[in-house]
Amino acid sequence: MAAPFDTPVLGDVDERRIPALKVGAMAESKPYVATAAHQEPLGFPGVLEDGWEKKAIGRMGELLGKYRSLQVFMDICVKCGACTDKCQYFLGTGDPKNMPVARADLFRSVYRRYFTTAGKLTPGLVGARDMTKEVLDEWFNYFHQCSQCRRCSVFCPSGIDTAEISMAARDIMDTIGQGQKYCNEIIGKVHKVGNNLGLPAPALLNTLEGLEEDILDETGVPVKLPIDVHGAEVLLVTPSADFFAEPHVLGLIGYAKVFHAAGVSWTLSTLASEAGNFGMFIGNYEQMRKISMRIRDAALALGVKRIIFGECGHAWRVAYSFLNTLAGPWDFLDPRYPVPQHILEFTNDLITRKGIKLDKSGNDGMVLTVHDSCNVARGARMGDRPGGQFTIPRDVIRASVPKLIDMHPDTICEKTFCCGGGGGVLTDELLDLRLKGALPRMEAIKEVADRDQVNFVAMICAICKAQFTKVLPYYGFKMSMAGGVHQLVSTAIVLGNEQ
Amino acid sequence: MTTFFAILFTVATLTLVIGLGLKIAQYARTPAPLKIPTTPAPLTKPGVAFRLAREAVVFESLFKANKPLWIFAALFHFGLAVVLVRHVRYFQTEVGPLVALVQPLALPAGLAMLIGLLLLLGRRLVLERIRYITGRSDILMLVLLLGIAVTGMFMTKHVHTDVVAVKAFFTGLLGFEIRSLPGDPLLVVHLLLVAILMIVFPFSKLLHAPGLFFSPTRNQTDTPREHRHLCDWAAKLEDKRS
Amino acid sequence: MAYTSKGASIEADEEGYLININEWNEELADQIAKDEGITMSTEHWEVVNFLREYYAEYQIAPAVRVLTKAIAKKMGPDKGSNKYLYELFPYGPGKQACKIAGLPKPTGCV
Repeated sequence: MAAPFDTPVLGDVDERRIPALKVGAMAESKPYVATAAHQEPLGFPGVLEDGWEKKAIGRMGELLGKYRSLQVFMDICVKCGACTDKCQYFLGTGDPKNMPVARADLFRSVYRRYFTTAGKLTPGLVGARDMTKEVLDEWFNYFHQCSQCRRCSVFCPSGIDTAEISMAARDIMDTIGQGQKYCNEIIGKVHKVGNNLGLPAPALLNTLEGLEEDILDETGVPVKLPIDVHGAEVLLVTPSADFFAEPHVLGLIGYAKVFHAAGVSWTLSTLASEAGNFGMFIGNYEQMRKISMRIRDAALALGVKRIIFGECGHAWRVAYSFLNTLAGPWDFLDPRYPVPQHILEFTNDLITRKGIKLDKSGNDGMVLTVHDSCNVARGARMGDRPGGQFTIPRDVIRASVPKLIDMHPDTICEKTFCCGGGGGVLTDELLDLRLKGALPRMEAIKEVADRDQVNFVAMICAICKAQFTKVLPYYGFKMSMAGGVHQLVSTAIVLGNEQ
Repeated sequence: MTTFFAILFTVATLTLVIGLGLKIAQYARTPAPLKIPTTPAPLTKPGVAFRLAREAVVFESLFKANKPLWIFAALFHFGLAVVLVRHVRYFQTEVGPLVALVQPLALPAGLAMLIGLLLLLGRRLVLERIRYITGRSDILMLVLLLGIAVTGMFMTKHVHTDVVAVKAFFTGLLGFEIRSLPGDPLLVVHLLLVAILMIVFPFSKLLHAPGLFFSPTRNQTDTPREHRHLCDWAAKLEDKRS
Repeated sequence: MAYTSKGASIEADEEGYLININEWNEELADQIAKDEGITMSTEHWEVVNFLREYYAEYQIAPAVRVLTKAIAKKMGPDKGSNKYLYELFPYGPGKQACKIAGLPKPTGCV
C-alpha cells in the first residue's frame, strides 16, 4: 500500500500560484526497480553490474550520436528559467528538481563532465558531475517524476523538450540494468501475450462476447465487436484498458456503435490487441519498433484496408508521428485514407457527412469540459490542419452533448496540463506524485465546476482515464466524472435506422 | 600591446569560427530519427522557416512563457544586435548603409543592452527559482557581457578613444598587416573581454544561437503520415528485418 | 516481502501480490485483507472466489464489467455495480481484490 500523504489544497487558476521551493520534497519518490525477470526478456541486464558507470557513459555517447535532439538540447540551454513554473510536478510538489531545467541538468551535468571541454577542464565552474551511484539514484527518482508531456517544450525559447532527455536517461538506465518495473513488466507482456494487461486471447473473446450481450440488452441492436476477421475494411487498434477497465470500456462500446451505424466492416486483432507502446516511455527505439511491427503484421495477416486507433494519448503520438517511420511503408493499405487514422477523425468525418446521427438528448444534463491529453496535444495532430487535435474532439463533443465549456486558456490545447499519470508513472507506488502532479488540472476543473456547473471531463487517453478515476475522489470530485469522448458518442448515437 | 592583441584576436577568431563550425557540423550530422515537432506545427518548409524566424527574432515561445523575462531578453538581444551592426564600421573602410542607419541608435541600444543585462542578472539573484538553477558560469557570462557593455559605453560617452586608430588596427588585421592600437586602459579591457567572449562561445551556452535552428521540436514539418521519415541508422535496422 | 500463513513463509512482491498463486489459502486472504483495512464479509468472499475461478480458466482477472455482471447474477442486480465493488474494495476492485485473491496485479493503463 502506498504511504500516507496529503492531498494538496486547490488554489485559484488565475493566480498562477508558483510554490516556494521545497528542496528534496520528492527525493524519496521512486518507482520499483525492475527485477531480472522484467529486464532480461527485453534484452536488458538483470541487475546493475560492476563497471556500469563506464557502460552508462558509453551508452550516453551512442545516444548523443544517434539523436540530434539530445545532442542539441544538452548544449543550448541558457538557464533562462522560462520552463521553471510550467511542469505540473513542480507546481504540485515544489521540489526544485521537478523544474524542467533542473531535471535536465541532472543529465546535463554528467554530459558536461564526459563530453565537453569545459566540463573536463573546469567541472566546478560549469556544474559537471561524475557518474556515481548517487547520481544514478537521483536519475532514477527524478526521471520517473517526468511524464514526458512536453509542456516545457512549448515554452522553451530554444525548444528544449525534457521528454527527450528523460527518455534518454531511462534508456541508459535500462541498458545498465536499472530499469523501471512498471514499464518493463508491461512491455514484456506485450511481447508474450499481446497487450499491456496480459489479456490472453480466450479472455479477450469472452470479454467481447459479454459486451455484445450488454449492448443488445441495452439497445436491442445486435452491435458486434469482431475480432480476427479476415478481410474486414478497418483494423481497430485500441488500448487494452478499453477491454478491461471502467470507464474505458464505455468508449469501446462507442467505437463499436459508430462502426455499426456507419456500416463499415471492422475488426480487432488478438495479435495487436494493444495500441499503447511503452517503448516510447523507456526511450528505446528498438522496443518501440518491435511493438509497432505487431500492428503491421496484424494488418497484413488480416488483409485490412485501413488502420484506426482508439482513444489513447501516447499511442496516438507513436501512431501518428512514428508509425510510418517504425513500421511503414503502408503501401498495401487504401491510399485514400491517412495511415493511421484516429477514431475521432473517423467519427468526425461521419458526423460531417451525416453518415451517422447523434441525438444530444442522450446526454441531457451534462455540462462538459475537455481535458486535452498531452501526447495528442503536443506530439501529434488530427485532421489536415495544425490544431485539428483540439478542434476535432471538440466538434464531436458538441455534436453529442448539449453544453461544452472550456477550462482556463492556460490549461488547454497546447498549454494543457498532463493528467499527472502519463509517461510511465501510472503505478500505485507513485500515487503521491500522481496526486500532486494532478493539482494544476484539478484547479482548472474546480474553476469550471464551481462557475459553470461542469459535471463531466472528457478525455481521449486510457492513462488519463485511469489517472482521473483514481485522483478525482481525493480532490472531492466523483470518480464517474471522467470518461472518453466515445463514451458520449455512445449515449448520443442513434442506432436501428441503418441498412 | 599591439602584437599581443593582433595574436589574441587571430586566435579568438579562429577559435570562434572553427569551434562554431565544428559544433554546427556536429548538429547537422547527427540524425533526427523521429518526427518530434512540438505541435501544432507547420506543415510546410516555408512554414517551418517562418516558425524559426519568429523564434529567432521575436522569441515567440519565450513570450508565451514569461512576459517580464521576454522584455529583459528583448532589451538585451535587440540592443546587442544594433551594437554589433554598429561595430561593423571598425572592419569596413567604407561604412555601409545599414551601419550608417543604426549609428544614431548607438547610445539607446547600448543602454538597452546594459539595462537588459542588469535585469537578467538581478533576476538571477532575486528570484528563488532562478537562483536555484543559476550556476557560477551563468553569472560569469552576464558579468563578462556587462564588462564589455560598460567599457564600450564609457568610451562612447566619456573617455573617448582614438576610434580611427582602432579601425586602422582591425582593417589592417583583416589584411594580415599590423597597425598600432591605442593603449587606453578602457579599450584594452573592452577588447580583452570581447576576445574572451569569442573564445568561450563554442564551449558555452552561447551555442543557443546556432542551436535553435537545429532544435527538432522547432525545425521539423508536421508531415509524418504523408512522408516516411527514416534516418540512416534506422534504415539499417530494416535490412535486418527482411 | 513475504507473508507467514499456517507456519509457512509465502513470498510476495514489493506490493504484497503473491509470487506463486498456488500458495494462496483462505486464512492468508483474511490476513492480506486485514493489512488493507478490510474485514472479509460474505460479499467480499463472493468477489474473491469469482476472481479465482475466472483466473483459473483465463489466466487473467476478469474485466471490471465481467465482474460486476457476475456479482449481479449471484447477489442481485443492486450489487452488480462498479460503485458497490468500490464500497467493498475502496482501493479499486481490480487491484485490491486481486491482491486478496492471491492473483497478480492487473497492469497497464488501468
